[in-house]
Amino acid sequence: MTAKQQPQEVTSSSEFEREPVPASRLLGFKSFIGMYAGEHTAGTELMIGPLFVAAGVSAFDLIVGLIVGNALAVLSWTLMCAPIATRTRLTLYYQLEKICGRHLVTLYNLANGVMFCFLAGAMVTVSATALGVWFKFEMPGLNDLYPNSVGWVVAVLFVGGMIAVVAAYGYQTVAKIANVAAPWMVLVFIAFGLIGLGQFITASNAKIDSVSDVWTLAKTTIWKGGDPFPGRTKFTFWHVMFFAWFCNMAMHIGMSDLSVFRFARKSWYGVASGTGMYLGHFLAWIAAALLYSVQLYQVDLSPAELQALASAGLLEEFQSHEMILSADTIRQLIAQGVWAQPPAVLPGPMAYRVAGLTGLICVIVAGWTTANPTIYRAGLAFQAVIPRSSRFRVTLGTGLVATMAGMFPAIAMKLLDFVALYGLVLMPMGAVIFVDFWLIRKFGLQSSFAERSGATFNWAAGAAWLVTLAIAWGLVEFAGVQIYFVSLPGWFVAAALYIGLSVVYQRRIRPAIGQAEAGPTAAQG
Amino acid sequence: MRTTAILVIVSLLSLVALMLPSILFLAGRMELATVKWVMLLATVVWFAAATPWMWKQTG
Repeated sequence: MTAKQQPQEVTSSSEFEREPVPASRLLGFKSFIGMYAGEHTAGTELMIGPLFVAAGVSAFDLIVGLIVGNALAVLSWTLMCAPIATRTRLTLYYQLEKICGRHLVTLYNLANGVMFCFLAGAMVTVSATALGVWFKFEMPGLNDLYPNSVGWVVAVLFVGGMIAVVAAYGYQTVAKIANVAAPWMVLVFIAFGLIGLGQFITASNAKIDSVSDVWTLAKTTIWKGGDPFPGRTKFTFWHVMFFAWFCNMAMHIGMSDLSVFRFARKSWYGVASGTGMYLGHFLAWIAAALLYSVQLYQVDLSPAELQALASAGLLEEFQSHEMILSADTIRQLIAQGVWAQPPAVLPGPMAYRVAGLTGLICVIVAGWTTANPTIYRAGLAFQAVIPRSSRFRVTLGTGLVATMAGMFPAIAMKLLDFVALYGLVLMPMGAVIFVDFWLIRKFGLQSSFAERSGATFNWAAGAAWLVTLAIAWGLVEFAGVQIYFVSLPGWFVAAALYIGLSVVYQRRIRPAIGQAEAGPTAAQG
Repeated sequence: MRTTAILVIVSLLSLVALMLPSILFLAGRMELATVKWVMLLATVVWFAAATPWMWKQTG
C-alpha cells in the first residue's frame, strides 16, 4: 500500500498534464510490471501483515482471502481504470476537471493531500521503529494513540524531517534510489518470510517433509485464527478479501492510476498490477505476518514486556511454550495487570531479529522511498489549491505535517482502518468518472459537463461524492457496518447519485448551456 | 559497455546471494548469524554494482 512511485519516464512527462499523451510517448508492458512490483512493496507492508495476526486471522482466511482480493484488485485496474486511461490518455486531475470543474477538483485535491499526509506519516512511523533498535528508547504499543516517549518523538522528528527536506530538495534523486532499491527490497521481504518460517519450524520442533506439512503448521500453530487481540477487530475471509481488494481503491476504482495508464499502449497492461499485488500484497504481507507470529511464539518481545512477564513469574511458561501468546492469554495478562496492551508491532525490531542490519536498512529504505513520493504528491495536491505557493515550501510544509502525524502511532497501528478510509474517501470520484465516461450519455445527459458548461463546481458530482461519504459514515456509525464493507455499496450509491443528480443539474439548473453544446468530447472520441 | 555488462552480472549475482542464505536457513543448512552477514554483504554489493547502471537507465 503506497503512493505512486512511477517510472522516471512517467513522472517526467509533466508536459502532458493538460493534453492526451501522444502515441510516440506510450510505454510497453515491461515499464508497468517493474513499477507496480516496486511500488507495492513498501514500509507499510511490514505493519499490515502483523495487524492481520492481531486481528485473529486464520491461515485459510489469510491465504485464500489475499489470493481472491488481490485478483479482484488486478481486475479493477484492468477492467475499470486502464480502459478509460487508454481511451482518454489524460491525468486523473484533468479528467476530473472536465467533469467536475476547477473548484470541485480543488476540494478533491485537498482531501487527497490530507490522506497522503497521513499515509506518509504511517511510513515515517515505520522507519522510525528502526532507530529504536539502536537507541533503545521506548516505542509505541499496539493500541497506543499518542507518542509515549521523548525518544520516540525525537526519532520521528529526525526521520520525518530528513524525508521532508529530501522530498523538497531532491525528489528525483530519491525516486532513482527507489528504483535501484526495488528489486533488492522485494527479495529482502521474501527472505524475511523464509527465515521467519525457518525460525517457526525450529522453535516448534515441527517435522516438515512436504508442502502439506507447512500448511498444517500454518493452520495449527502460525495462524490459528480465533479471537482477535484486545482492542482489535476480528478478521474473517471477507475482511481479508475486501481489504486486499480495496486497500488501493483510490488507485483503481478511484481512478488515480488514470495518470499512470494513460501511458499504456493497451488497456490489458492493467494486469501488470498483479506483480505489485502478489509480491507486495501477498508475499510481503505473509512474510511480515510470519515475523510477528514468530515474535509472539518465541516470546521475543520488548524489554518492558519481558520484564512484566518475568515479574509475574510467567516468563518461563511462555518461553517453554507451555503457554502460548494467544488472544485469550493476552486478554488474561491484560486483565491481571501484567501488560497494559498486546505486544507491539514494531517493524524495525522484527526485521532486525531475522535479517540483522539488512533488515533494518530495508525498513528504513522501504519507509523512506515510499514516504518520499507520497509527501511530494501531497505537496503537489496542496500546491494545486494554492497555485502561487513555492513547490519547495509546500513540500517541506507537507513533510512536516506528515512528520507530526507520524508521531501519533494510532495511524500506523490502526493502518487497516486508515487504509480502508483512504480508499473510501476518494472512491466516489472514481464512480463519477466511470459513469461519466461509459454511461451518462445513455441517459441523454452530457459527459465532461463542467468543460462544456463552463461550470467551476459541478454540483451533481460534488453532491454524489459528499452524500456517498455521509451515507457510508451513517452505515459505519449507526448501522454497525464495518468500514471494510461500505465501499462496495458506496460505489453503486455514488454512481446512481451522480446520474440522478445530473438529470436535475443538467436539465433544470444549467439547461441552456448544457443543451447548446451536446455531443461527445474530443478526448473520448 | 563491457563495464556495464559486468556490473549487471555482479548485481544479479548479488541478488542470488541475498536470497540463497534464507533458503539454506529454511532447509536447516545455515546458521542465522551467517545468514545475516551474507545478506549484508550481498546488500552492499547490490547497491555498489546496480546503482551505476540502473541510475543511467532511469535517468
